[in-house]
Amino acid sequence: MQKIWIHFFLLHAAALLGGGVIGALYGQTLIGLLIVLAGLLAWHILQLFRLERWLLTGESIDLPDGNGVWPRAFARIQFIQDRARQNRRNWRSLIKELRASAKAFPDGGIILNPNHEIINYNKAARQLLGLKKKRDMGQRIDNLIRHPAFVAYLESGKRRDSVEIPGLVGADTWLSCRIIPYGPDQRLLLVRDITQSVMLERMRSDFVANASHELRTPLTVISGYLDTLSDDAELPDAWAGPIQDMRQQAERMNLLVNDLLELSRLESSEPGSMDKSVDMAALLRAVQNEMLVIDERPQTVELQLDSEAKLLGEEAEIRSIAANLVFNALRYTTKDGRVDIRWRVDDKGGHLSVKDTGVGIAAEDIPRLTERFFRADSGRDRRQGGTGLGLAIVKHALKRHDGELEIRSKLGEGSTFICHFPLTRLLVGE
Amino acid sequence: MNMDKERFSQHISRGFNEELESLRNEVLRMGGMVENHLDIAIEAIVAGDSKMGLAVAGRDHEINQMEVAIDEQCSQILATRGPAATDLRLIVAVIKTITDLERVGDEAQRIGYLASHLASSQQHSDHYHELSELGEHVKKMLHEALDAFSRLDVKDALQVVEEDKLVDEEYDMILRQCISLMMEDPRTIRRFMDVSWVARALERIGDHAKNISEYVIYMVHGQDIRHLGLEEIRQEIGVE
Repeated sequence: MQKIWIHFFLLHAAALLGGGVIGALYGQTLIGLLIVLAGLLAWHILQLFRLERWLLTGESIDLPDGNGVWPRAFARIQFIQDRARQNRRNWRSLIKELRASAKAFPDGGIILNPNHEIINYNKAARQLLGLKKKRDMGQRIDNLIRHPAFVAYLESGKRRDSVEIPGLVGADTWLSCRIIPYGPDQRLLLVRDITQSVMLERMRSDFVANASHELRTPLTVISGYLDTLSDDAELPDAWAGPIQDMRQQAERMNLLVNDLLELSRLESSEPGSMDKSVDMAALLRAVQNEMLVIDERPQTVELQLDSEAKLLGEEAEIRSIAANLVFNALRYTTKDGRVDIRWRVDDKGGHLSVKDTGVGIAAEDIPRLTERFFRADSGRDRRQGGTGLGLAIVKHALKRHDGELEIRSKLGEGSTFICHFPLTRLLVGE
Repeated sequence: MNMDKERFSQHISRGFNEELESLRNEVLRMGGMVENHLDIAIEAIVAGDSKMGLAVAGRDHEINQMEVAIDEQCSQILATRGPAATDLRLIVAVIKTITDLERVGDEAQRIGYLASHLASSQQHSDHYHELSELGEHVKKMLHEALDAFSRLDVKDALQVVEEDKLVDEEYDMILRQCISLMMEDPRTIRRFMDVSWVARALERIGDHAKNISEYVIYMVHGQDIRHLGLEEIRQEIGVE
């Protein structure tokens, strides 16, 4: 037993004994004991009363001194309370710091529950989306951000990529939204202001388009005079070679400018319409015939049509996709090789493939192939012709038709370029 | 608003709550699509992009389909649940709101056609600047009206009602400009007729946005404030 309790009992026993002895002196032992007991009880009740008052009102009081059982209990409670208060203070300052950091965060953050309802958000989100304090808690996020692209993204469940939408506050602003799931069914919606980069991108593509336009006019004049000069019989023969070279280069520049313009148009305009159908069979036959006219080409250029399905989209762009792919295949395949064009449809969608037995592409070059002016082997390709923009055009035109480009290749064995179109773009059995 | 929102979600039948909630979401989804179309149509006018104008005009049927679907949903709720009080007002307001939204879609379609017409027939005019300003204004009004619908916010709704006056003034200004320019040079009459048609369509969209805001007030307060002056409205619903 603890010393303090031994002390407690001894004290009580001594008091009782004293009371008993004094009572015995007067011949009333029992009454003496009772008086002492009543006194002790009254004292304990007083302490209990003080404790209850103290805990209830929370006012600070003079703690009983000494090291008895009561003073110790009081002191202990005081200690626990102090510690709790300290903890609370620590938590509060931690939460304050977290709040402050969430507030200072430049990107908007919104916590959503599985029903897309807003649970909480930070200051940047409030400013970017024009949310209203407190009122928008519990509101569904797609009731406030109503742009169809965002709603589709929210429902698609795709959580890797982000979606870009026009801003809700102020004209001509752009937001990038991204959903990150965390914890048991909570999501964090990150919103970032990308107006600057969108503007920059727009400026860049505007610049390319304008520059190409400006280049075209002088180029026409140059080619025109070169054409006249080449027909001029009075010109010394020594000039024939250089003029021929100049004409070729002018023609090349013309192609380049055309491709640049085509590319900037593909990048900036709305996606291809869905209400026009393209007869793939006829289109591919026409492309094949066009290519057969070229003199230096592989012996066999075969077309295999496994399906009569039509494609919904812009005919000129689909033609440009096919022509660019076939032209590339011809350029990189030797005379004894072959090129196979194939159009087939399965349950995943439509597939246009162009297969050659040409030089092939190194694995590390494949990802960069659709970059503008990228050349796998800079030494050789210059004289093969082409502008270096063909595959970039293919990629952008495909993107506008919800398609994807797949490239399979092995050095020395040839390459296969496959365009995958989704089922929604197909018109089967008509 | 919280009170009202809770009122919507206080039914014993959970299915009913979900139906009402999904109805609201569908209306706002349709609103989002309408906003998007209007956005593209105005962009087509300003950029003089005839393809873009035709593309948006060709997509109007999406909005029409949504209107039919929501209408169907409303009749179903009316028939099976027999809603009363706030719920009934919600459904009445929804039926009216989607009609207005559908008309906004039609106006956007018209603007799309006019954009393609303007872009293909004439050179770029600086009057598109005024149109684009009016367009931005109307877009903002529609956006705020739909926000008020989603938040059941009477104050915001009132603000949209007020803003309609400004739009009307802007429309008048464009019209006057068009008339004076037509008188100056009769050859431009055709073009400025188109421009004034666009302005007219935009002004109509402003009216529809105002209507939607009025339905919001009706939904929350149960008072019909159509055809009342602003002062009367304030008195009626007790908002300063």
